[in-house]
Amino acid sequence: MTVTGYLADFSLPELFQLVEQGNKTGLLTICTLTDPTTIARHNHHIWLSQGQIVAAGNSLDQQGLMRLIAQRGWMGDRAVSRLAQTCQIHTPLGLCLKNQGVLTAEQLKLLFYTQVMRQVCALFALPDGWFQFDPKAPLPVSEMTGLIATATDVTLSGLRALKDWNALDEKLPDPSSALISVVESKPSLRLNPNEWQVWEFTNGTMAIKDIAQQLNLPVAKAQQIAFRLIVTGLAEEMPMVAAPPPAAFELAAPTPLEQGFATTVTADAAGAAPVSQSFLQNLVGFLKGKV
Amino acid sequence: MEIMRLVVTGPVGAGKSTFIRSVSEIEVVDTDRRATDDALLIKKRTTVAFDFGRLQFGPDMALHLYGTPGQSRFDFMWDILIQKAHAYILLVAAHRPHEFREARRIMTFMKQRSPSPMIIGLTHTDCSGAWDAANIALALGYPDPTRRPPIVAVNANETASVAQAVISLVQFTWAGSLAPTT
Repeated sequence: MTVTGYLADFSLPELFQLVEQGNKTGLLTICTLTDPTTIARHNHHIWLSQGQIVAAGNSLDQQGLMRLIAQRGWMGDRAVSRLAQTCQIHTPLGLCLKNQGVLTAEQLKLLFYTQVMRQVCALFALPDGWFQFDPKAPLPVSEMTGLIATATDVTLSGLRALKDWNALDEKLPDPSSALISVVESKPSLRLNPNEWQVWEFTNGTMAIKDIAQQLNLPVAKAQQIAFRLIVTGLAEEMPMVAAPPPAAFELAAPTPLEQGFATTVTADAAGAAPVSQSFLQNLVGFLKGKV
Repeated sequence: MEIMRLVVTGPVGAGKSTFIRSVSEIEVVDTDRRATDDALLIKKRTTVAFDFGRLQFGPDMALHLYGTPGQSRFDFMWDILIQKAHAYILLVAAHRPHEFREARRIMTFMKQRSPSPMIIGLTHTDCSGAWDAANIALALGYPDPTRRPPIVAVNANETASVAQAVISLVQFTWAGSLAPTT
Protein backbone atom coordinates (compact mmCIF):
# COMPACT_ATOMS: atom_id res chain seq x y z
CA MET A 1 0.00 0.00 0.00
CA THR A 2 1.17 3.54 -0.76
CA VAL A 3 2.29 5.44 2.32
CA THR A 4 1.92 9.21 2.35
CA GLY A 5 2.47 11.92 4.91
CA TYR A 6 4.56 14.90 5.95
CA LEU A 7 8.09 14.83 7.24
CA ALA A 8 7.06 17.10 10.10
CA ASP A 9 4.80 14.25 11.26
CA PHE A 10 6.93 11.26 10.36
CA SER A 11 10.56 12.18 9.86
CA LEU A 12 12.93 10.88 7.22
CA PRO A 13 14.97 8.81 9.71
CA GLU A 14 11.72 7.18 10.88
CA LEU A 15 10.72 6.56 7.27
CA PHE A 16 14.06 4.95 6.52
CA GLN A 17 13.69 2.75 9.57
CA LEU A 18 10.23 1.71 8.36
CA VAL A 19 11.29 0.87 4.79
CA GLU A 20 14.33 -1.06 5.97
CA GLN A 21 12.54 -3.05 8.65
CA GLY A 22 9.73 -3.72 6.19
CA ASN A 23 12.21 -4.81 3.48
CA LYS A 24 10.34 -2.53 1.14
CA THR A 25 10.94 -2.15 -2.56
CA GLY A 26 9.70 0.89 -4.43
CA LEU A 27 10.07 4.62 -4.86
CA LEU A 28 10.11 7.19 -2.07
CA THR A 29 9.30 10.65 -3.36
CA ILE A 30 9.80 13.72 -1.21
CA CYS A 31 8.32 17.01 -2.33
CA THR A 32 9.90 19.92 -0.47
CA LEU A 33 7.66 22.58 1.02
CA THR A 34 10.36 24.93 2.14
CA ASP A 35 8.75 28.20 1.17
CA PRO A 36 4.97 28.30 0.90
CA THR A 37 5.08 31.74 -0.74
CA THR A 38 6.77 30.40 -3.85
CA ILE A 39 5.54 27.75 -6.20
CA ALA A 40 9.05 26.38 -6.57
CA ARG A 41 8.97 22.87 -5.24
CA HIS A 42 11.56 20.23 -5.67
CA ASN A 43 11.02 16.53 -5.90
CA HIS A 44 13.57 14.10 -4.57
CA HIS A 45 13.36 10.46 -5.51
CA ILE A 46 14.91 7.57 -3.62
CA TRP A 47 14.63 4.06 -5.00
CA LEU A 48 14.75 1.12 -2.64
CA SER A 49 15.11 -2.59 -3.11
CA GLN A 50 14.41 -4.90 -0.18
CA GLY A 51 14.84 -2.00 2.23
CA GLN A 52 18.16 -0.88 0.75
CA ILE A 53 18.78 2.34 -1.14
CA VAL A 54 19.84 1.65 -4.72
CA ALA A 55 19.54 5.07 -6.38
CA ALA A 56 18.46 8.66 -5.86
CA GLY A 57 17.77 11.62 -8.07
CA ASN A 58 15.77 14.77 -8.67
CA SER A 59 13.92 13.66 -11.76
CA LEU A 60 12.20 10.65 -13.24
CA ASP A 61 13.68 11.05 -16.72
CA GLN A 62 16.11 8.15 -16.26
CA GLN A 63 18.98 10.47 -17.22
CA GLY A 64 20.29 11.41 -13.78
CA LEU A 65 23.19 8.97 -13.61
CA MET A 66 24.20 9.74 -17.21
CA ARG A 67 24.28 13.44 -16.34
CA LEU A 68 26.47 12.75 -13.30
CA ILE A 69 28.91 10.76 -15.45
CA ALA A 70 28.98 13.56 -18.02
CA GLN A 71 29.48 16.21 -15.30
CA ARG A 72 32.54 14.34 -14.11
CA GLY A 73 33.86 14.50 -17.66
CA TRP A 74 34.25 10.75 -17.87
CA MET A 75 32.01 10.37 -20.93
CA GLY A 76 29.61 12.46 -22.97
CA ASP A 77 25.84 12.14 -22.59
CA ARG A 78 25.40 10.61 -25.99
CA ALA A 79 28.22 8.12 -25.60
CA VAL A 80 26.78 6.88 -22.29
CA SER A 81 23.35 6.71 -23.83
CA ARG A 82 24.65 4.60 -26.73
CA LEU A 83 26.47 2.23 -24.38
CA ALA A 84 23.42 1.99 -22.14
CA GLN A 85 21.47 0.52 -25.02
CA THR A 86 23.85 -2.43 -25.13
CA CYS A 87 23.30 -3.24 -21.44
CA GLN A 88 21.26 -6.25 -20.45
CA ILE A 89 17.74 -5.32 -19.54
CA HIS A 90 17.95 -5.78 -15.74
CA THR A 91 21.58 -4.74 -15.26
CA PRO A 92 22.20 -1.44 -13.46
CA LEU A 93 23.81 1.07 -15.81
CA GLY A 94 26.81 1.66 -13.55
CA LEU A 95 27.59 -2.03 -13.28
CA CYS A 96 27.14 -2.45 -17.03
CA LEU A 97 29.61 0.36 -17.75
CA LYS A 98 32.08 -1.13 -15.29
CA ASN A 99 31.75 -4.54 -16.95
CA GLN A 100 32.50 -2.88 -20.28
CA GLY A 101 35.63 -1.30 -18.83
CA VAL A 102 34.28 2.21 -19.21
CA LEU A 103 34.15 2.98 -15.49
CA THR A 104 36.36 1.76 -12.67
CA ALA A 105 35.12 0.49 -9.31
CA GLU A 106 36.43 3.66 -7.68
CA GLN A 107 34.53 5.84 -10.14
CA LEU A 108 31.40 3.85 -9.43
CA LYS A 109 31.84 4.42 -5.70
CA LEU A 110 32.29 8.13 -6.27
CA LEU A 111 29.14 8.23 -8.40
CA PHE A 112 27.16 6.41 -5.73
CA TYR A 113 28.46 8.72 -3.04
CA THR A 114 27.45 11.78 -5.06
CA GLN A 115 24.13 10.39 -6.19
CA VAL A 116 22.92 8.74 -2.98
CA MET A 117 24.90 9.65 0.11
CA ARG A 118 25.33 13.34 -0.59
CA GLN A 119 21.84 13.98 -1.99
CA VAL A 120 19.94 11.89 0.53
CA CYS A 121 21.86 13.06 3.57
CA ALA A 122 21.00 16.66 2.67
CA LEU A 123 17.32 15.77 3.01
CA PHE A 124 17.61 15.18 6.77
CA ALA A 125 17.75 18.94 7.25
CA LEU A 126 14.46 19.58 5.44
CA PRO A 127 12.05 21.32 7.81
CA ASP A 128 9.09 19.69 6.12
CA GLY A 129 8.05 17.95 2.96
CA TRP A 130 5.32 15.77 1.62
CA PHE A 131 6.32 12.17 1.06
CA GLN A 132 4.93 9.21 -0.77
CA PHE A 133 6.22 5.68 -0.89
CA ASP A 134 5.02 3.81 -3.95
CA PRO A 135 5.70 0.07 -3.68
CA LYS A 136 4.65 -0.50 -7.28
CA ALA A 137 7.20 1.79 -8.93
CA PRO A 138 9.74 -0.18 -10.99
CA LEU A 139 13.44 0.05 -10.21
CA PRO A 140 15.22 2.29 -12.75
CA VAL A 141 18.29 0.37 -13.92
CA SER A 142 19.52 3.44 -15.82
CA GLU A 143 19.74 5.38 -12.52
CA MET A 144 21.46 2.58 -10.64
CA THR A 145 25.19 2.22 -10.13
CA GLY A 146 24.81 -1.35 -8.90
CA LEU A 147 25.98 -0.30 -5.44
CA ILE A 148 23.61 -0.24 -2.48
CA ALA A 149 23.49 1.26 0.99
CA THR A 150 21.29 0.18 3.83
CA ALA A 151 18.84 2.84 4.93
CA THR A 152 20.36 2.51 8.41
CA ASP A 153 23.86 3.35 7.13
CA VAL A 154 22.53 6.38 5.28
CA THR A 155 20.61 7.51 8.36
CA LEU A 156 23.63 7.11 10.60
CA SER A 157 25.93 8.98 8.20
CA GLY A 158 23.36 11.68 7.51
CA LEU A 159 22.54 12.34 11.14
CA ARG A 160 26.18 12.34 12.21
CA ALA A 161 26.89 15.01 9.63
CA LEU A 162 23.76 17.03 10.38
CA LYS A 163 24.59 20.50 11.65
CA ASP A 164 21.11 21.98 11.96
CA TRP A 165 18.79 19.75 14.00
CA ASN A 166 15.82 22.13 13.99
CA ALA A 167 13.85 19.93 11.59
CA LEU A 168 14.15 16.96 13.95
CA ASP A 169 13.96 18.80 17.24
CA GLU A 170 10.48 17.54 18.10
CA LYS A 171 11.47 13.98 17.34
CA LEU A 172 14.34 13.83 19.80
CA PRO A 173 13.77 11.73 22.90
CA ASP A 174 12.85 13.60 26.05
CA PRO A 175 15.85 14.38 28.30
CA SER A 176 13.99 12.80 31.21
CA SER A 177 13.50 9.51 29.35
CA ALA A 178 15.83 6.55 29.59
CA LEU A 179 17.01 4.32 26.76
CA ILE A 180 16.54 0.61 26.57
CA SER A 181 18.39 -1.72 24.24
CA VAL A 182 16.32 -3.70 21.75
CA VAL A 183 19.14 -5.88 20.42
CA GLU A 184 20.32 -8.97 22.23
CA SER A 185 24.04 -8.58 21.75
CA LYS A 186 26.35 -5.71 20.92
CA PRO A 187 25.36 -3.68 17.87
CA SER A 188 26.87 -4.79 14.59
CA LEU A 189 26.74 -1.22 13.28
CA ARG A 190 29.97 0.72 13.36
CA LEU A 191 29.21 3.23 16.09
CA ASN A 192 31.45 6.18 16.86
CA PRO A 193 32.96 6.59 20.35
CA ASN A 194 30.17 8.86 21.64
CA GLU A 195 27.51 6.52 20.34
CA TRP A 196 29.22 3.58 22.06
CA GLN A 197 29.38 5.54 25.29
CA VAL A 198 25.66 6.32 25.21
CA TRP A 199 24.93 2.75 24.14
CA GLU A 200 26.49 1.54 27.41
CA PHE A 201 23.59 3.21 29.24
CA THR A 202 20.77 1.55 27.33
CA ASN A 203 19.54 -0.37 30.34
CA GLY A 204 16.51 1.73 31.12
CA THR A 205 17.78 3.11 34.41
CA MET A 206 19.32 6.49 33.64
CA ALA A 207 17.69 9.55 32.10
CA ILE A 208 19.31 10.97 28.98
CA LYS A 209 20.09 14.23 30.80
CA ASP A 210 21.96 12.23 33.44
CA ILE A 211 23.78 10.24 30.77
CA ALA A 212 24.83 13.56 29.26
CA GLN A 213 26.15 14.72 32.60
CA GLN A 214 27.97 11.45 33.17
CA LEU A 215 29.63 11.67 29.75
CA ASN A 216 30.23 15.39 29.95
CA LEU A 217 28.13 16.02 26.86
CA PRO A 218 25.60 18.77 26.24
CA VAL A 219 22.08 17.38 26.79
CA ALA A 220 21.11 18.21 23.19
CA LYS A 221 24.07 16.22 21.92
CA ALA A 222 23.09 13.23 24.05
CA GLN A 223 19.51 13.50 22.74
CA GLN A 224 20.80 13.49 19.16
CA ILE A 225 22.94 10.43 19.80
CA ALA A 226 20.01 8.72 21.51
CA PHE A 227 17.84 9.52 18.49
CA ARG A 228 20.41 7.90 16.21
CA LEU A 229 20.40 4.76 18.35
CA ILE A 230 16.59 4.72 18.23
CA VAL A 231 16.11 5.21 14.49
CA THR A 232 18.79 2.67 13.66
CA GLY A 233 16.88 0.05 15.63
CA LEU A 234 19.31 -0.32 18.50
CA ALA A 235 17.35 1.25 21.34
CA GLU A 236 13.95 2.53 22.37
CA GLU A 237 13.03 5.56 24.39
CA MET A 238 11.45 4.68 27.70
CA PRO A 239 9.76 7.30 29.86
CA MET A 240 10.93 7.18 33.45
CA VAL A 241 8.30 7.41 36.12
CA ALA A 242 8.41 10.59 38.11
CA ALA A 243 6.99 10.72 41.61
CA PRO A 244 3.45 12.10 41.41
CA PRO A 245 3.78 15.71 42.55
CA PRO A 246 0.32 16.74 43.84
CA ALA A 247 0.76 20.29 42.62
CA ALA A 248 1.48 19.10 39.11
CA PHE A 249 -2.08 17.88 38.63
CA GLU A 250 -3.39 21.42 38.27
CA LEU A 251 -6.73 20.00 39.30
CA ALA A 252 -9.48 21.20 41.47
CA ALA A 253 -9.74 19.02 44.57
CA PRO A 254 -10.65 15.51 43.44
CA THR A 255 -14.15 14.33 44.09
CA PRO A 256 -14.67 11.62 46.70
CA LEU A 257 -15.46 9.27 43.83
CA GLU A 258 -12.09 9.92 42.18
CA GLN A 259 -10.35 9.44 45.50
CA GLY A 260 -12.18 6.18 46.00
CA PHE A 261 -11.08 4.74 42.68
CA ALA A 262 -7.52 5.88 43.18
CA THR A 263 -7.47 4.04 46.49
CA THR A 264 -8.90 0.92 44.86
CA VAL A 265 -6.21 0.88 42.24
CA THR A 266 -3.23 1.66 44.41
CA ALA A 267 -4.03 -0.10 47.65
CA ASP A 268 -4.38 -3.65 46.32
CA ALA A 269 -1.46 -6.02 46.29
CA ALA A 270 0.70 -5.76 43.19
CA GLY A 271 -0.34 -7.75 40.12
CA ALA A 272 -3.72 -8.90 38.90
CA ALA A 273 -5.55 -11.80 40.53
CA PRO A 274 -6.31 -14.61 38.08
CA VAL A 275 -9.84 -14.89 36.73
CA SER A 276 -11.79 -18.11 36.33
CA GLN A 277 -12.67 -19.83 33.06
CA SER A 278 -16.38 -19.33 33.72
CA PHE A 279 -15.70 -15.62 34.15
CA LEU A 280 -14.02 -15.47 30.75
CA GLN A 281 -16.75 -17.40 29.02
CA ASN A 282 -19.49 -15.30 30.60
CA LEU A 283 -17.69 -12.11 29.65
CA VAL A 284 -17.17 -13.12 26.03
CA GLY A 285 -20.75 -14.33 25.77
CA PHE A 286 -22.01 -11.07 27.24
CA LEU A 287 -19.90 -8.95 24.90
CA LYS A 288 -20.97 -10.98 21.89
CA GLY A 289 -24.50 -9.90 22.69
CA LYS A 290 -23.39 -6.30 22.09
CA VAL A 291 -21.67 -6.94 18.76
CA MET B 1 -16.73 -10.33 43.37
CA GLU B 2 -14.52 -11.50 40.51
CA ILE B 3 -13.05 -8.55 38.63
CA MET B 4 -11.00 -8.25 35.47
CA ARG B 5 -9.08 -5.04 34.94
CA LEU B 6 -8.33 -3.95 31.41
CA VAL B 7 -6.27 -0.87 30.69
CA VAL B 8 -6.86 1.30 27.65
CA THR B 9 -3.75 3.26 26.75
CA GLY B 10 -2.38 5.32 23.88
CA PRO B 11 -1.39 8.85 22.89
CA VAL B 12 -3.54 11.95 23.38
CA GLY B 13 -6.61 11.87 21.17
CA ALA B 14 -6.41 8.18 20.24
CA GLY B 15 -9.95 7.63 21.58
CA LYS B 16 -9.34 6.10 25.01
CA SER B 17 -12.04 7.97 26.90
CA THR B 18 -14.54 7.45 24.07
CA PHE B 19 -13.69 3.75 23.96
CA ILE B 20 -14.51 3.32 27.62
CA ARG B 21 -17.69 5.42 27.40
CA SER B 22 -18.92 3.28 24.52
CA VAL B 23 -18.94 0.07 26.50
CA SER B 24 -19.32 1.10 30.15
CA GLU B 25 -22.68 0.56 31.76
CA ILE B 26 -22.05 3.30 34.29
CA GLU B 27 -21.44 6.96 33.65
CA VAL B 28 -17.71 7.00 33.10
CA VAL B 29 -15.76 8.51 35.93
CA ASP B 30 -13.32 10.78 34.23
CA THR B 31 -10.63 13.15 35.33
CA ASP B 32 -10.74 15.22 32.18
CA ARG B 33 -9.48 18.73 32.56
CA ARG B 34 -8.96 21.60 30.20
CA ALA B 35 -6.11 20.65 27.88
CA THR B 36 -2.96 22.72 27.85
CA ASP B 37 0.10 22.80 25.58
CA ASP B 38 0.22 20.25 22.75
CA ALA B 39 -2.90 18.36 23.75
CA LEU B 40 -4.95 21.50 23.12
CA LEU B 41 -4.19 21.18 19.42
CA ILE B 42 -6.02 17.86 19.35
CA LYS B 43 -8.86 18.37 21.81
CA LYS B 44 -10.19 20.79 24.41
CA ARG B 45 -10.18 18.44 27.36
CA THR B 46 -7.77 15.69 28.25
CA THR B 47 -7.55 12.97 30.88
CA VAL B 48 -5.11 13.79 33.66
CA ALA B 49 -5.47 10.83 36.03
CA PHE B 50 -7.57 8.06 34.54
CA ASP B 51 -10.99 7.19 33.17
CA PHE B 52 -12.96 4.44 34.78
CA GLY B 53 -15.75 2.38 33.28
CA ARG B 54 -17.48 -0.73 34.49
CA LEU B 55 -19.44 -3.58 33.01
CA GLN B 56 -21.21 -6.03 35.31
CA PHE B 57 -22.30 -9.19 33.56
CA GLY B 58 -23.16 -11.46 36.45
CA PRO B 59 -24.09 -11.14 40.12
CA ASP B 60 -20.44 -11.39 41.10
CA MET B 61 -18.56 -10.73 37.89
CA ALA B 62 -17.44 -7.36 36.54
CA LEU B 63 -15.09 -5.90 34.00
CA HIS B 64 -13.27 -2.73 34.99
CA LEU B 65 -11.83 -0.52 32.28
CA TYR B 66 -9.15 2.02 33.07
CA GLY B 67 -8.06 4.65 30.59
CA THR B 68 -4.61 6.13 31.05
CA PRO B 69 -3.82 9.81 30.62
CA GLY B 70 -2.30 10.43 27.21
CA GLN B 71 0.20 13.06 28.26
CA SER B 72 3.49 11.64 29.41
CA ARG B 73 3.85 14.06 32.32
CA PHE B 74 1.20 11.93 34.00
CA ASP B 75 3.13 8.75 33.35
CA PHE B 76 3.19 7.82 37.03
CA MET B 77 -0.49 6.99 36.48
CA TRP B 78 0.51 4.66 33.64
CA ASP B 79 2.62 2.77 36.15
CA ILE B 80 -0.07 2.59 38.79
CA LEU B 81 -2.67 1.37 36.32
CA ILE B 82 -0.59 -1.15 34.38
CA GLN B 83 0.65 -2.85 37.54
CA LYS B 84 -2.90 -3.99 38.26
CA ALA B 85 -3.98 -4.82 34.73
CA HIS B 86 -4.88 -8.26 33.46
CA ALA B 87 -4.33 -7.04 29.91
CA TYR B 88 -4.27 -3.82 27.96
CA ILE B 89 -5.09 -2.36 24.58
CA LEU B 90 -2.92 0.29 22.96
CA LEU B 91 -5.06 2.64 20.89
CA VAL B 92 -3.35 4.36 17.97
CA ALA B 93 -4.99 6.88 15.66
CA ALA B 94 -4.18 5.52 12.20
CA HIS B 95 -4.33 8.93 10.55
CA ARG B 96 -1.82 10.60 12.87
CA PRO B 97 1.69 9.35 12.06
CA HIS B 98 2.93 12.14 14.28
CA GLU B 99 1.73 10.06 17.25
CA PHE B 100 3.26 6.73 16.28
CA ARG B 101 6.50 7.41 18.14
CA GLU B 102 4.59 8.43 21.26
CA ALA B 103 2.57 5.22 21.01
CA ARG B 104 5.86 3.37 20.80
CA ARG B 105 7.17 5.15 23.91
CA ILE B 106 4.05 4.22 25.85
CA MET B 107 4.25 0.62 24.68
CA THR B 108 7.93 0.36 25.64
CA PHE B 109 7.06 1.68 29.08
CA MET B 110 4.17 -0.72 29.53
CA LYS B 111 6.16 -3.73 28.37
CA GLN B 112 8.93 -2.89 30.83
CA ARG B 113 6.53 -2.43 33.70
CA SER B 114 4.21 -5.35 33.18
CA PRO B 115 4.16 -8.69 31.41
CA SER B 116 0.43 -8.29 30.77
CA PRO B 117 -0.68 -9.25 27.26
CA MET B 118 -1.69 -6.49 24.89
CA ILE B 119 -3.31 -5.89 21.57
CA ILE B 120 -3.20 -2.84 19.32
CA GLY B 121 -6.43 -1.08 18.42
CA LEU B 122 -6.36 1.21 15.39
CA THR B 123 -8.83 4.09 15.51
CA HIS B 124 -9.72 6.59 12.77
CA THR B 125 -8.88 4.02 10.10
CA ASP B 126 -11.50 5.58 7.82
CA CYS B 127 -9.96 9.06 8.02
CA SER B 128 -8.06 10.66 5.19
CA GLY B 129 -4.36 9.91 5.38
CA ALA B 130 -4.84 6.82 7.56
CA TRP B 131 -2.03 4.30 7.31
CA ASP B 132 -2.76 0.60 6.94
CA ALA B 133 -2.17 -1.89 9.73
CA ALA B 134 1.01 -3.38 8.22
CA ASN B 135 2.77 -0.03 8.00
CA ILE B 136 1.61 1.07 11.44
CA ALA B 137 2.95 -2.20 12.83
CA LEU B 138 6.31 -1.35 11.25
CA ALA B 139 6.18 2.17 12.63
CA LEU B 140 5.53 0.72 16.09
CA GLY B 141 8.54 -1.56 15.80
CA TYR B 142 7.01 -4.85 14.68
CA PRO B 143 8.75 -5.86 11.43
CA ASP B 144 7.78 -9.52 11.72
CA PRO B 145 4.03 -10.09 11.20
CA THR B 146 4.28 -13.47 12.94
CA ARG B 147 5.74 -11.93 16.09
CA ARG B 148 3.47 -9.05 16.88
CA PRO B 149 0.37 -8.58 18.98
CA PRO B 150 -3.01 -8.77 17.25
CA ILE B 151 -4.02 -5.55 15.54
CA VAL B 152 -7.71 -4.71 15.32
CA ALA B 153 -9.52 -1.77 13.81
CA VAL B 154 -11.89 -0.17 16.27
CA ASN B 155 -14.41 2.62 16.09
CA ALA B 156 -14.32 4.02 19.61
CA ASN B 157 -17.73 5.62 19.12
CA GLU B 158 -19.52 2.35 18.43
CA THR B 159 -20.41 -0.05 21.24
CA ALA B 160 -20.32 -3.07 18.93
CA SER B 161 -16.86 -2.23 17.65
CA VAL B 162 -15.49 -1.62 21.15
CA ALA B 163 -17.11 -4.84 22.42
CA GLN B 164 -15.46 -6.73 19.56
CA ALA B 165 -12.07 -5.21 20.43
CA VAL B 166 -12.48 -6.26 24.07
CA ILE B 167 -13.43 -9.76 22.94
CA SER B 168 -10.26 -9.85 20.83
CA LEU B 169 -8.20 -8.76 23.82
CA VAL B 170 -9.78 -11.33 26.12
CA GLN B 171 -9.49 -14.12 23.55
CA PHE B 172 -5.86 -13.28 22.83
CA THR B 173 -4.98 -13.06 26.51
CA TRP B 174 -6.65 -16.28 27.50
CA ALA B 175 -6.40 -18.17 24.22
CA GLY B 176 -5.74 -21.45 26.00
CA SER B 177 -8.45 -21.01 28.60
CA LEU B 178 -11.48 -20.22 26.49
CA ALA B 179 -13.52 -23.11 25.20
CA PRO B 180 -15.35 -22.44 21.92
CA THR B 181 -18.72 -20.82 22.45
CA THR B 182 -21.67 -21.07 20.16
